[in-house]
Formats: sequence, structure tokens, C-alpha cells
Amino acid sequence: MRWSPKAAGLIAAALLACGPGDSTGRTSGGAVDDVGRPIRLTAPPARIVSLSPATTELLFTLGAGHRVVGRTRWCQDPPAARDVPSVGDGLAPNVEAILARRPDLVAFYRSAANAAAIERLESAGVATVTLALDRLADLVRVTRLLGRVLGDSLRADSLIEGLEVALAAPATARAGQAPRVLLLAWDNPPIVIGGGSFLSEIVSLAGGHNVFDELDRPSATVSIETIAARDPDVVLVAAGTETASLATRPEWRVVRAIRERRFAVVQGSEFEHPSFRASAAVRQLARVLEGWRR
Amino acid sequence: MIRWLVLAAAALVALVAAVAVGPARFPLVDVWRAVLGDGEPTTVAIVRDLRAPRALLAFCVGGSLAVTGASLQALVRNPLADPYLLGLSGGAGVGAVAAIALRLGGVWGVPIAATVGALVAIAVVYRLAVVTGSVLDTKVLLLGGVVVGAFAIAAMGAIMAVSPAPQVRNALLWILGSFSGSSWQAVVLFGAYAVLPLGALYSLSRPLDLLSLGEDPARFLGADVERLKRVLYFGASLLTAAAVSVSGIIGFVGLVVPHAVRIVWGHIHHALLPAAFVLGGTLMVVADGLARTAFAPVELPVGVVTALIGVPVFVLLVRRWQG
Repeated sequence: MRWSPKAAGLIAAALLACGPGDSTGRTSGGAVDDVGRPIRLTAPPARIVSLSPATTELLFTLGAGHRVVGRTRWCQDPPAARDVPSVGDGLAPNVEAILARRPDLVAFYRSAANAAAIERLESAGVATVTLALDRLADLVRVTRLLGRVLGDSLRADSLIEGLEVALAAPATARAGQAPRVLLLAWDNPPIVIGGGSFLSEIVSLAGGHNVFDELDRPSATVSIETIAARDPDVVLVAAGTETASLATRPEWRVVRAIRERRFAVVQGSEFEHPSFRASAAVRQLARVLEGWRR
Repeated sequence: MIRWLVLAAAALVALVAAVAVGPARFPLVDVWRAVLGDGEPTTVAIVRDLRAPRALLAFCVGGSLAVTGASLQALVRNPLADPYLLGLSGGAGVGAVAAIALRLGGVWGVPIAATVGALVAIAVVYRLAVVTGSVLDTKVLLLGGVVVGAFAIAAMGAIMAVSPAPQVRNALLWILGSFSGSSWQAVVLFGAYAVLPLGALYSLSRPLDLLSLGEDPARFLGADVERLKRVLYFGASLLTAAAVSVSGIIGFVGLVVPHAVRIVWGHIHHALLPAAFVLGGTLMVVADGLARTAFAPVELPVGVVTALIGVPVFVLLVRRWQG
């Protein structure tokens, strides 16, 4: 594998911004979350409610799965997480269901829809941490922060090192140009994955280039015309997408890659949210894209 | 006469601009060559198979919604009536959300399910409003539409809350309205379908004038009021259901265009309906053009744009004609 210059630069920037890791095992004194709010904890949390699939998986990866006492209904990874009681949705969550789990820390995804719930929990004396976990660079920063909050920075640091090694492993020589990839999330209206998503980084690391990489948001509605003009080499979709019927629609057949049924299909929840399984996602995708090199 | 010429010119300019301009920027020379079928194949396909059918479909849908709105406003004698008033948008929404939640296959799944939902809502509201024999009570029609719509929106929320499919939220984006599914196939299908209800509504221009006076005066003046109401209701509803199937739910055009046209053309439906069709179509083409290009490559929901440009235009019109 090789680093794309952009992803490598972003991760390096994230590492610099975080400074040297705190590996003394202290608690979260002075730590602030991704919206700049101090995390009000005096001891490492023992009962955590996690309100996003990425955070839930990360807590288990950090060895804190036994401290997770609540999750969303979308949190299915790792399989052990399914044994944790669900509190429903992660955006605009049910505060009563969260409080019923008697948490000492609630981990939110950063979204305006969560502002009211955060205020209510804080005023009820429950500490909250809000995390903007969309990209692999975010994963590094958030892992460091959670390691500090959980009082296990050593483990966080070694995980981060492992990820960096896995992603930066020496590139096998690749012949030909990087395939230009359209990441199609939905067909009507057409929704594509932009550069603000970890999937765009995965594509770069796997030796491809997302044709909507310049969009700094995770996803966006675009016109078929724009897709046709960018003329991707291959369309990346999740397993289960009805590619055959898509290729019969007259408006979609204007896009060469769809007309020629150049679909690359990937499977697995490592493509659904950023996690330490990103290196496995990169490996799978690199194999898939290998067939579409020019 | 001048009013008609200005309107026709505006429509023509809007249609030409919609084909000439898009998020993929081509020199006008290339667009012209592409129209003639000459040049780089992708450019030709974008101009001839994406932009042209999209502009025409937007025009037909916008025009149909405006005619529907004008007819329904006359039917229920309420200036707030719009094509989705009678529970149709809710029914379509439930259909779309259910299709995604149940993973009903294929790219046609959502539009077909939405149309079925709309037709069910039409039938339920009609059944509610038919009292004693075959008399259609327009007050009950109005109320029935509102409560069926409210029920449908609640059902939609419930399906979204419990569905295990995370994609179900994408149904909301579809419902917000978009012409991204446009093709010549869609233009031909919609056009062939819309001719009949549009013709039926236009042929009722004179009875519609009478109906705006009230049901009893219309009856005294010789209109077959009960038959008129039924034809109006089904013509307007089926036309809107077809619009929903190709473009989702696009608000505002059907509500405000008829009022804008009344300000300029007066209340006689013989002129009102054709003018509403052309103005509604023009507004929709302009709105879709802005939706495609204003924040390119990101596309806005077209319903957002119809309201953003329609409201100021309407306010200007009202002030101008009051003064």
C-alpha cells in the first residue's frame, strides 16, 4: 500500500495538532472535545453511552467495551456491541432512555440536532463528549482523546501506530494510472460521497481517486450531468445496490461507466464508518480496483 | 396581447437557457453543435439526453401543477388550495418511505410506490367527501385532505423511526423534489398522460367561472355542479399524482402561480388556465436551472428554489398591481 500525499498530510497535521500523547494514565483533566467543550470527569468513566456506530466500535477497540452500557440501534460492530442495550437513535436522541442507563459519560456525534440533548445531560450532571468522527485523520485525533479520557493513552498510542504502519506499508508497484472512482450512495436524487468522508481517503489509499474528492463534506446531492462530465472509470457501490436496473435507466446511461456497467462492489461494515478496520477496507478495495486500472 | 407575448418570450428564454447552461460548463458553440448532434459524445449526451428532457419535463410538471392549483382553488373556493392539499403529498410520502423501508427493488420502486400512495390518498379523501348519494361536499373534501395528509405524515415518521434500513431518510430527499430522474422516456410518458386531464380541466373553463361564484349560483346558471366537482377533483388529483411520480413533491408553484396569473389576466379561466400553465412551467424551468447551477456541483432541492424566487416575484406583483 502507499500513502496518497493528501491523506498522509492530513493525518500528519492531525498528529501535530494533538501534540505528544499523554501516556501517564491520568484522567481527562483539561481535555476538550471536538466542539471545544471541557469534558467534566474527575475519574475515568465506568458507564458510557455511545451515540454513534464509529464511537461504539472505537470504544470496544480501545478495550473499553465492558464500560459501554448504551448504544444506538445502528451500532452493530463489533458483534459484542449488539449485547449492549440500545437507546434508540443517535441523532436527537431520547434523553430519558440515556439517563435510564445511568451513564457517567455520553459520547455524541457532532451535529446541530444533538445540541438540546447535550445541554440537558450536562445540566443533569452527566459528562458529555462530542466527536466529529468522519475521516481517518479524525480517527487518530479521537482515539487519542478517548485514550486520555479512559485513562489508557498507551493503548490508544499503540493502536494509532499500528494503523499508520498498516496504511503506510510499502506500496507494491502499480501499473497504469489511478482509476477515477465515483462513490455512489444513492440514485434518485443522485447522492455521492465527497472528500469529507473517510471513504474518499480509503479510495486514495487503495490507489484510486474519488472524482468528488474536492467536496469537503461527507456526501452531497449532485446532478447526473456533473457525474457524466467528470466521466469516472468505475462506480463504487455497496453490495446489494441494484446496479443492473440502474444501468437500464436512460438518464443514467449518459454516464459512460454506468452504461458500460463498470461497477465495483464492496461489502462489509468497515465501509460504513471510520474504524481501525480501515486497513482491511483498503486491502479489499485495492483488490477490487486492480481490475479497473488502465 | 403584449402580456401573452412577454409570457411566451420568457418561457422560450427559460427553456433555451436551461439547455445552454448547466453544472458542466460548455462554450455556447459546443452546446449548439451538440444540439445538432455533432461534437464530443459526452457533451452531445449531456445536452440532448439530460438537459433537453429535463427542461421539458420541468416545464410540463410546473405547468400542470399551476393548472391543478388554479382548478382546485376554484373547486374548494379557498385561495390556500394547492395541488397537494388533498392528502396527496402525504400519501406519496408514505409510499416512498415504505418502498425504501421494505427494500422494494429497482430504481422504479420509489416512484411507483409514491404514485400508489397518492392514488390511495385520493380514493380515501374522495370517499370521505361523498355524502348522501353522490354529492361531493367540498368542505369535507378540504378537511379530509388535511386529516389524511396529517395521518400519512405521522405514518411516515413511524416507519422511519422503526425501519432497520438507514437509507430510509433518503426518501425525504426524493420527496423534496428533483428532476434528476428526467429522460425522454419520462417526458413522453408524462406528456401522453397529462394531455387528458389538462384537456378536461381546460374544457371546464366556463363552468369553473360559474363555480367560483358559489355552488348554488353555478347551479342556477345551468352548470352540472356535481359532475363538474367530480371531474375537477379526479382530473386535478391524477395530474398531481403523475407529477409526483416523475419529480417528487414541489411546493409553491401550484399555490402562488394561479394567484399571480389572476393579478395580471383576471379571473376568467379560459385565459387563466393556459397562462398559469406557461407561467408555472417557466418558473419551474428557471428554478430547476438555478437548483442545478447555483452551488454546482452540489444540487439544491428544486422546491427550495421555487419558493426562494417565487415569493419575491409574487410580492412585487402584488405591490405593483395594488399601486
